[in-house]
Amino acid sequence: MDGNKTSNWWTFWGVLILAWAAFPLLWMFSLAFKSPDTFREGTPSFFPKEWTWSNFSSVFSDELFTSALRNSFGIAVLATLLSVIVAMFAAYAIARLDFRGKKLLLSMALAIGMFPQAALVGPLFNMWRGLGIYDTWIGLIIPYLTFALPLSIWTMSAFFRQIPWEMEQAAQVDGATPWQAFRKVIVPLAAPGVFTTAILTFFFCWNEFLLATSLTSTDRARTVPAALSFFTGSSQFQSPVTAIMAASVVVTIPVVILVLLFQRRIVAGLTSGAVKG
Amino acid sequence: MASISMQHIVKKYGDGFAAVNDVNLEVADGEFMILVGPSGCGKSTLLRMIVGLEDITSGDMIIGDKRVNDDAPRDRNLAMVFQNYALYPHLTVFENIAFPLRLRKDMSDDEIRAKVEEAAETLELTEHLDRRPSNLSGGQRQRVAMGRAIVRDAQVFLFDEPLSNLDAKLRGQMRTEILRIQRRLGVTTVYVTHDQTEAMTLGDRVALMRRGELQQVGTPRELYEHPLNMFVAGFIGSPPMNFVPAQCVDGELRLPFTSFELPTEMREVVGDREYVMVGLRPERFEDHGLMEASKADTGQVFEAHIDVVEWLGNEQYAYVPYEADPALMASLADLAKDLDSEHQRSQLVVALDPASAISDSSSAKIWFDPHRMHIFDAATGDNLTRELANAH
Repeated sequence: MDGNKTSNWWTFWGVLILAWAAFPLLWMFSLAFKSPDTFREGTPSFFPKEWTWSNFSSVFSDELFTSALRNSFGIAVLATLLSVIVAMFAAYAIARLDFRGKKLLLSMALAIGMFPQAALVGPLFNMWRGLGIYDTWIGLIIPYLTFALPLSIWTMSAFFRQIPWEMEQAAQVDGATPWQAFRKVIVPLAAPGVFTTAILTFFFCWNEFLLATSLTSTDRARTVPAALSFFTGSSQFQSPVTAIMAASVVVTIPVVILVLLFQRRIVAGLTSGAVKG
Repeated sequence: MASISMQHIVKKYGDGFAAVNDVNLEVADGEFMILVGPSGCGKSTLLRMIVGLEDITSGDMIIGDKRVNDDAPRDRNLAMVFQNYALYPHLTVFENIAFPLRLRKDMSDDEIRAKVEEAAETLELTEHLDRRPSNLSGGQRQRVAMGRAIVRDAQVFLFDEPLSNLDAKLRGQMRTEILRIQRRLGVTTVYVTHDQTEAMTLGDRVALMRRGELQQVGTPRELYEHPLNMFVAGFIGSPPMNFVPAQCVDGELRLPFTSFELPTEMREVVGDREYVMVGLRPERFEDHGLMEASKADTGQVFEAHIDVVEWLGNEQYAYVPYEADPALMASLADLAKDLDSEHQRSQLVVALDPASAISDSSSAKIWFDPHRMHIFDAATGDNLTRELANAH
């Protein structure tokens, strides 16, 4: 009986937290389907009285949004790819080799992670303009790499560390070069870790707003989170809110798909190594 | 196939600690050599230096007729079975065994398949080839690890405590299996273990190490019957040899529980030492009551208070406490530490015939033959009776 009571209690809290977390998302979803002319009428309702796709069509016909979507995809994918590759080698070295300054390197990586990004925006803006990479893809990829790498290196080196060293030694005795041992034994075993890191990095780049607004000025490199703030709606007499919500729904979709696809991997990745399996 | 020659092999770590110190060891072609010793004696380090996973500080490691000190593991063509098997969890059993062949890149898929299937046949793994290591039992994983070793024509097999993760029953089976395969393939084998039973049953020869140094190299029988020193005598044999402090006065040997006239040839080797350590194997004792009179007369009988008796079916162990000079017991405590055993209480372990009716907390007459005891120098631990024919 007692057990039942506690589990009811937990269910209650669970539902409350779920509602708390899901409400903004539902609100966003509902707004995206409301007509831009009537969503502010006198008798408001949570769900739209008339479901309409007009917001989505207006968003997709807007060059501002479609180019931003392209930029977002390109920049996030490139930055993730680069970051995962670099982090993989760095983490492997940190997990396996003993070299001078390893501690320093790790604490520096952590320090970068703690550094407030806002403090960097001004200097970066000036530097990027001087270097001529202001408002370009590369201009966003570089700072994204910088901020994503520390976390990636930390997570991945934890993964590499839990792979028994004997695996690699066995491979070497079997006739593998260090590179072959890395590629054929270590990388496959670390795959869950690589996936987790890649997904987390992708989310970071996909959602990043501060640098995206500060280091871009045109359609050339502006990503979706930044572009949303410049939205005006299809005419100046209309409120852009419903269109912005439709755009938000669109950019949330890849994140949701990724999480659904890889959720088991992510959970396995974040928790494996906690207990010896 | 090849012989291994280790000359003055030293492994020193950065802090100056010598894990392996001046080891000279020859392993003949096709020989089954056991490296044995308590934990931390450097046996695994030595093995890892043979295979190339550990750098050699100084000395020469010669495999076949090539000095391999500076060769990477992959250039030495040796096969190794690790303690935790080190199977590749993301590959099937087939791919695990095929792994070394695939790396060579000079074999067709058909050749590889034939080789792997042959190895699987030998190890009775054929029906498991498509499974993954995580779905296998301990013994099966062990066999996969061996499959990976035998599938390539390696010069030498190296085993690093391969049976220590298995339960006792399986360990016995796998031990025989390893011996059978080694005999069949006739490959030079170096096998590391801390278990003296494995050492005795498997090895053509056994190399016993202590604190990075070789103590004695020889056949299991040599080590058992003619140990060089107290360490070897105490390590080989189960239950271990009893060490009893003794005093030598005018040719009479005084043990804590009995005294007797030293046999002449022993008196010579003991010389003018007053204190010695006497080594008595538990299995050399007998229950006087069960003996024929003619045999009983050849040895020494003493009255013992039996503390506890352990009956095992095929034999039984009786524990006989005795009082000894604490100063003499101190050197035994040191030895016990080296042997990884608990500090020995001053008691004799006596292995008796299971028919013996001796019971707990009783008195009994125990017999032993003084000619078959070992006498060790109390200070150095050297075996003084090693050269004597009878002493075993």
